[in-house]
Amino acid sequence: MSVDTSKAVVTGVVEPDGTGSTSRSRRRGGWNWAPAILLAPAGIVLAGVLGYPLVRLVINSFQDFGLRALFTGTTDWVGFANYQAIFKDQQFGPVLLRTGVFTLSLVIGCLVIGMAMAQMMTNLGKGIRTVLNFLLILAWALPTVSSTLVWQWLFQPVYGVFNWLITQVGWFGDYTSHRWTGSAGGAFTIVWLLIVWQSVPFVALTLYAGQSQIPAEFYEAAQLDGASNWRIYRSVTLPFLRPVLYLATILQIIWHFNTFNQLWILTQGGPDHGTTTLSIWAFQKAFASNSFGQGSAIAVVTAILLMILTGVYIRRLIRSGEMQ
Amino acid sequence: MTATQLSSAAGNAKTSGVRSRRRRARHPISFAGAIICCVLWAVPIYWMLNTSFKTRDHITSTTPQFFPVPFSFGNYADAFTKPGFLSSLLNSLVVSLGVVIVSIVLGFLASAAVSRFRFFGRRAIMVAILAVQMIPGGALLIPLFLSFKSLGLLNSYWGLGLAYVSSVLPFSIWVLRGFFLNLPIEIEEAAKIDGAGTARILRSVYFPLVLPGLISTSVFAFIAAWNDYITAYVMLKDQSKYTLPVWLVSFSTNEGTDYGGLIAASVLFALPVVIFFMIVQRNLVSGMSAGAVKG
Repeated sequence: MSVDTSKAVVTGVVEPDGTGSTSRSRRRGGWNWAPAILLAPAGIVLAGVLGYPLVRLVINSFQDFGLRALFTGTTDWVGFANYQAIFKDQQFGPVLLRTGVFTLSLVIGCLVIGMAMAQMMTNLGKGIRTVLNFLLILAWALPTVSSTLVWQWLFQPVYGVFNWLITQVGWFGDYTSHRWTGSAGGAFTIVWLLIVWQSVPFVALTLYAGQSQIPAEFYEAAQLDGASNWRIYRSVTLPFLRPVLYLATILQIIWHFNTFNQLWILTQGGPDHGTTTLSIWAFQKAFASNSFGQGSAIAVVTAILLMILTGVYIRRLIRSGEMQ
Repeated sequence: MTATQLSSAAGNAKTSGVRSRRRRARHPISFAGAIICCVLWAVPIYWMLNTSFKTRDHITSTTPQFFPVPFSFGNYADAFTKPGFLSSLLNSLVVSLGVVIVSIVLGFLASAAVSRFRFFGRRAIMVAILAVQMIPGGALLIPLFLSFKSLGLLNSYWGLGLAYVSSVLPFSIWVLRGFFLNLPIEIEEAAKIDGAGTARILRSVYFPLVLPGLISTSVFAFIAAWNDYITAYVMLKDQSKYTLPVWLVSFSTNEGTDYGGLIAASVLFALPVVIFFMIVQRNLVSGMSAGAVKG
């Protein structure tokens, strides 16, 4: 780089008449090397650590890649055997259903709470809004591992403050030594609460930002026409908010569909596979049962499902003016 | 991913105040809802801090103690003296800072290329960068693990760092490109007339102007590398190599966990991320290029 600099500067200074003006001649005809050189380092890293694994993932999913392959280095092509194995697996149906319901309940929960909160924030005085804003950003910023460990502690049998609280309220009887991770329902409940707590800040703050950019004239006009609050929300706020809402929804689907850390740290997919979602299943197949071929197949299926779910959005993004 | 970017929009919007003018009347329902939300979002954080400052017998009392009285730093002292805490903290710092530096350099160069030059395949590269962000990170874990295993990169910070760089790079390029596109072309032309070459323009013109973008992407890279659990969990086998999140989780699954020490360590782990996140929230609003053309 430094060599290049000095040369460029010198040519510019010594030959101002344009005979040595490399940049101009470069742009007119022939190949311009500058962008290629600038792109090369990032391109090499991305091709090696992102592109190659992606190709390899697909290849592995068609191979018998188990412990033996790991040590001998030889892998046999098995066609669609891995895919057949996972589709026939007793777990496949429940896992798929679980992942779907889990994702849907989280997306709906986060969107509904986030939208309500954003609307609420527009009606708040500055003081309380600042406090809420601060708390939301704090929850958002907290690393997943930290918040998951705090959750573990909040819902800890015997010493967990939440169990104590629920027992004090008294609706459910004595919950003091209740183990939330002891049943699939209980485990999903606390994971749902944790993820909603973590994700709502993003949704609420994004939607609030979108809402505060809607010109006030629209609301004034609607109010003059005597529209009710609900009507105003539906006919003015929502149409303006649609692009932001769309983006938030897609991101929520991707994030929740791929939930791993919270589930893994709190339940490891248990009890009795009760909280095993697609991402947990792929991980278990690959790293617990050393069946890397089947794990890869699950990952490929997951990626394809996600692509179908978000494909519309990607197409729209590619077509939009953003891409020039 | 896009979270950081959008958060800046949230920060911007706060100042606009278009709507506060419109509705001066306070809504009692909204106010009540806000109070409830504040409590719900504050409780886990309060409880985290509360626990971390309690004494050991107050942590394990069947009736929860709502205030850390007597106040104690014992849990923090405890966390620091736990086997592996300091070394994993150091490991996390080394890996995260390495990732920041490498991803910033690579991201800066690549985003300059895709925003300041027109060349064949540029559009394809942008589409690829966008599409890559749709790939679930967990899916790549298996082939990455296998490749690193055959390359001998398991259990090494080089491998882990490379994995982090590749995961943050597409987003960094995307964000930095936005900062580049905001710069008027006249700046570059002026520099060229003054006789600056590409490298000189990058270093002396673009670098200072996209600095806010570099700061925010480096914070993003730091947070991503610092927070990651699953990649490090898969790649690192020696306990002495653990990064902080892996150490924290392995510590929590031990029988008879010392929750005071664990929660205090979690606070320490979260602290830099929370601080950086708050800084970026405000700093993303950049006024650097304003007045650069017409001063």
